[in-house]
Parts: sequence; C-alpha cells; structure tokens
Amino acid sequence: MNTAEAAQEILAALAGGPPVVEVLVMDSPTSVVPVGTRMVVRATSASGSLGDTEADARVRELSREVLRTRRPRQERIDTPAGPVTVYLEPHFAPDELVIVGAGHIARPLCRIGAMLGYAVTVLDDRPDFATLERFPEAVQLVKADFSDPFRGVALGAGTHLVLVTRGHKYDYDALRDIMLRGVDLAYVGMVGSQRRVRATLEQLRREGISTERLAAVYSPIGLDIEAETPEEIAISIAAELVRVRRGGTGVSMRDRARVVERFLRHNHPSGEA
Amino acid sequence: MSETRLVFEAALESARQGRKAVLATIVNAKGSTPRGVGSRMLIDLETGLVGTVGGGCGEAQVIETAREVFETGIAQVARVDLTEDYLSWSPAVCGGIFDVLIERV
Repeated sequence: MNTAEAAQEILAALAGGPPVVEVLVMDSPTSVVPVGTRMVVRATSASGSLGDTEADARVRELSREVLRTRRPRQERIDTPAGPVTVYLEPHFAPDELVIVGAGHIARPLCRIGAMLGYAVTVLDDRPDFATLERFPEAVQLVKADFSDPFRGVALGAGTHLVLVTRGHKYDYDALRDIMLRGVDLAYVGMVGSQRRVRATLEQLRREGISTERLAAVYSPIGLDIEAETPEEIAISIAAELVRVRRGGTGVSMRDRARVVERFLRHNHPSGEA
Repeated sequence: MSETRLVFEAALESARQGRKAVLATIVNAKGSTPRGVGSRMLIDLETGLVGTVGGGCGEAQVIETAREVFETGIAQVARVDLTEDYLSWSPAVCGGIFDVLIERV
C-alpha cells in the first residue's frame, strides 16, 4: 500500500474510528521488501503486506501487543528474503477534554485544548453559553441539566474533565455524578478557592464518597503560576493536562536541570558571579 | 487537532492535488533530541512544511534528504547526529541522535 492509502486508514482511526497500527519497514537487506514498505493493521484485518504469509502473521501478532501497550516500537521480522526491521506505531481516537461551565475560563481553554489535540466538549446549563460562536474549536456542545449533567456525553479512560462552572453548587453536582459512576477518568480537575473546594469536598464526604476517589481530584485546578486572568488560568490548567499526559514536575526547567547554577558555581567558586 | 492528524491530512491533500511531497517520521531516537519517536513532518516541495521533526536541530538535513527521496522515489532512513562539539556554533549540539524514515507520498 502507498503512503496516501495508509494515511487514509490512519486518519480514520485518529478521527474516532477503531484503532490501527501503522507498520513501516525501516531496515531491509532486500529490494523484495524495501524500506518504506507499509502495512496498516486493525483488530481483525490488515492492509498491505511484507510479501510473506508468515511474516504478515507475525506483524499482526506484534500489532496486537502494540495496541495494548499503546507505544511505538521496533521489531526484527524474518522473511524469506532476509530479516527486516519494522517500526510499529498505534493510532487511536483523540483523548477527550470535557469542560463543564462555558464561562470565561472555558473559552481560552477550549482553544488551547483543541491545539493540544483533545476532542473538546463544552457543557453548560444556560442557553446561549455553550454555542458554536463562542467555542468554534469544540467538537461537541451540550446544553446540560445539572440533575443529570453528563447525559449524552461519553466518559471513559481517555476523558479529561475540567469543572469550571459559575458556582460550587454546579461543580458539586457534576463531581458527585462522576464520583458515583465508578468510572476512572484520565483526569478530573475542579476550579475554586481553597474555601470553595473544601465546601464541595465536605459535602461529598457526607454523601459517602470514598477518600481515594476524592484524593484523585485535582483541586484547586492547574499548575502554580499565580494565574489570574481567564487566559492565564487556562494556560495553568492546560499545563497540568500536559503534565498528566507526559509526566514531569511542573517546576521551571532552570530549577530542575540547574545548568546555569552549576555552571556559575564551577566557574566562580567564591560566588561573585 | 493532533499534530499527527494535521500531518497525515496534509499528506493526503498533497497526494490528491498531485503535488511533490515527502513524509518524514522519526523511528528511532537516543539522547537529547528535540522530538521523540513518532514525530512527523510533511515536506511539500511546492507549499512548505507541516509538523516538525526538530526545528533547527537537524531539520535542514531532513529537508535536503527529502529532495533526494522525491527525485529517486526510493525511501530511506537518514541518521541525524546532534552530538557535534558545542563550541562549534553548529545547530547540531543538542546531544542526541535520531533516525528519520523519509518516503515519497
């Protein structure tokens, strides 16, 4: 299969279809299976071929593992023409970012979230708030009812939930609904002052929500950068989402790597840098 | 929208329009490299770049190789070595090495 055909199948997965594994020959001793030879493997079928039934079967077996681990890898595969090295990369539907409350913070957060590759849903109970004019980058806009806040919204292991409603009554309703469902989301964050957060948590404890489930909530939300404007707060929340995705400490790289500090100490031991 | 998706959409668009285009994929990376395995860039020789495999650090070499791959039609893996002497003022001093598979779209 050529690159364009592979791109088409990979794009279908990235747009929300069933996941696929992209297979690319990256090293080969033979022009029978040249570098750049492609396959796309799905759960029960495959497109393209390494030109040998057994080698293709091995690729499909490896692809199942790659779908499980969700990480790219390389593998040597024997073919009648000699051993080739393949690169395997899984492609999934994008993670979701569900923003509850379509107010000031939600607007910049929706834009940044879309830039970061999330499929963004914005939800509000007020008409005229979760609208396409205000949230052009959203893939889903929901007019919600806080007695059943997530009706019509798919929530799963790839969902990042941000609670930024206009009052802790609504945060409470939404958080309570999530806590009672027993699904583990990728991230749950809730905006609020320490006081407002404590009030919400106290009420949930009274409802019998377990300590472990409450401990998983990121609240107050965002990384500590003294964010103040809605845009700054959105950046702070987005930075926390990136950290959940990639890891890291959230500390300035300068203070982590301390290249400057060590350089100066080494070159000016008396400290008169 | 994810970077991967933007790059594949651009690749498909270039193919549909019949433009000269080449896809670069990082398939291997060691040490300090600006981008990791799975990063991609579409080099459309008529309209420009979509995505990145590392900016100043090695991208020029990839673009050079892309021209060659387009001319020959033969995919190849380019090794980008960023371990040059850091006093050289070369852009290639990040400290790592990566391999990019470059193929004609």
